[in-house]
Amino acid sequence: MNFEDTDFRQETIDLGNPFDVKLVKDFLASLDLVFDPSEVESTMIVYNLKGDLVGTGSHQGRILKYIAVATEYRDTTAFALIVTNLTGKLLKIHKHTFVFTRPENAVRFAGLGYTRIATAEPLFTVLEFGFESIRTYQAYLKTLAVPTHNNTVAAIVVNCNPFTNGHKYLIENAAAMNEVVYLFVVEEDRSAFPFSVRWKLIEAGTRHLKNVVMVKGGMYVVSGATFPSYFLKCEEVSTVMQKQAELDVTIFADYIVPVLGITRRYVGTEVYCAVTREYNQAMKKILPPKGVEVIELERKAVGSNTGLNPNYISASKVRQAIREDRLEDVLDFLPEVTRDFLLSDESAAIHAKIKQESSRH
Amino acid sequence: MTPKTAAQAGTFESSDVLFLIEPLPEKSGRKIELFSTVLHQYGESFNKIVTEMLDDYALTDIHIIARDKGALEPTIKARLETAINRSLQNIQQV
Repeated sequence: MNFEDTDFRQETIDLGNPFDVKLVKDFLASLDLVFDPSEVESTMIVYNLKGDLVGTGSHQGRILKYIAVATEYRDTTAFALIVTNLTGKLLKIHKHTFVFTRPENAVRFAGLGYTRIATAEPLFTVLEFGFESIRTYQAYLKTLAVPTHNNTVAAIVVNCNPFTNGHKYLIENAAAMNEVVYLFVVEEDRSAFPFSVRWKLIEAGTRHLKNVVMVKGGMYVVSGATFPSYFLKCEEVSTVMQKQAELDVTIFADYIVPVLGITRRYVGTEVYCAVTREYNQAMKKILPPKGVEVIELERKAVGSNTGLNPNYISASKVRQAIREDRLEDVLDFLPEVTRDFLLSDESAAIHAKIKQESSRH
Repeated sequence: MTPKTAAQAGTFESSDVLFLIEPLPEKSGRKIELFSTVLHQYGESFNKIVTEMLDDYALTDIHIIARDKGALEPTIKARLETAINRSLQNIQQV
């Protein structure tokens, strides 16, 4: 008699144990996936009583990763078992979970009840599930929406790590040329300056602009969920990164633009960071067909004493200066609020943090 | 009664249903989001089962998310009841 072998056992592996890691690595390699244990927080495996590895799944923060089931077990419950287990675990901590998968596999997650948010062909589809969803974020945006008379509604997305005169220049320009400016502040706390500090400095530095509305970026505007590359080192431009940028811009165009009636998006020219430059490219490709004009303003420079190359204001130069204890060199990059903050004792912890790390954002 | 915490019960597996429950502030009412593979055939009876159980427990301000993959009535009831009791903290979380 033939019967289905579905007596599956599940276990969380020890990522500190090279044998466990090798087990998962070899299994994933047989399915053409490259497992990088440094990219996950926890990994589980599913096996049967014969000891065959049936499937595996991992997560990092609220993102499910490396979910795979051996070919011969694809018609069993193994996949649902893995996704249930990880989702259940994450929803005890987070309000929602995300998964990135190839567009052709999105149907498997959608079949379980995950909701598709956006796709960047041919690499990624992002799906989500949980107590909150992108609808929750849209409801938040609706509470901030300001009624307008003409169609000049601008959006700017900033990280402001930290807030410089360059950001201020961009925001002031947009504020002068538009009825309303929605200023999205990246909420992900992976930057040297924590979100609360960035928000406070921007708020103080833009208080004189009455038509600027500050918006929290949440999980959907340049977050670790939608655009993880932004928080990695900038040097390498890869297809993955490019597609992540497209994903982020697509979400912006499809879910945020319609709620706030945005017609323009402002950016500064990018001269230093490859990832941001790529992001600007994605905007120019995706936004205009969806009715949003991309306006790129020449980045503000200070003086012209460096010969032919203007001394462009850049937050990363500010952090570099902090790292090298020569803050005075960049003081004219900074608006009063940031200058005061950086010269005060309040910023001691941030100084220390910057000196330790070398991340680009 | 008032649910105390967010809670879940069930799985994504076929013939099962996964419930997520979240307390809502007083007077916000019931918010039920049902996604089912058999929504067209059984959506109405599913909602009836859920509503009846919420009435039994006198739960008025609650957010319920259900992902159904064709669960039978006893399964739906069992999963929902477990989720409710977990959110009321009547049983220990496992």
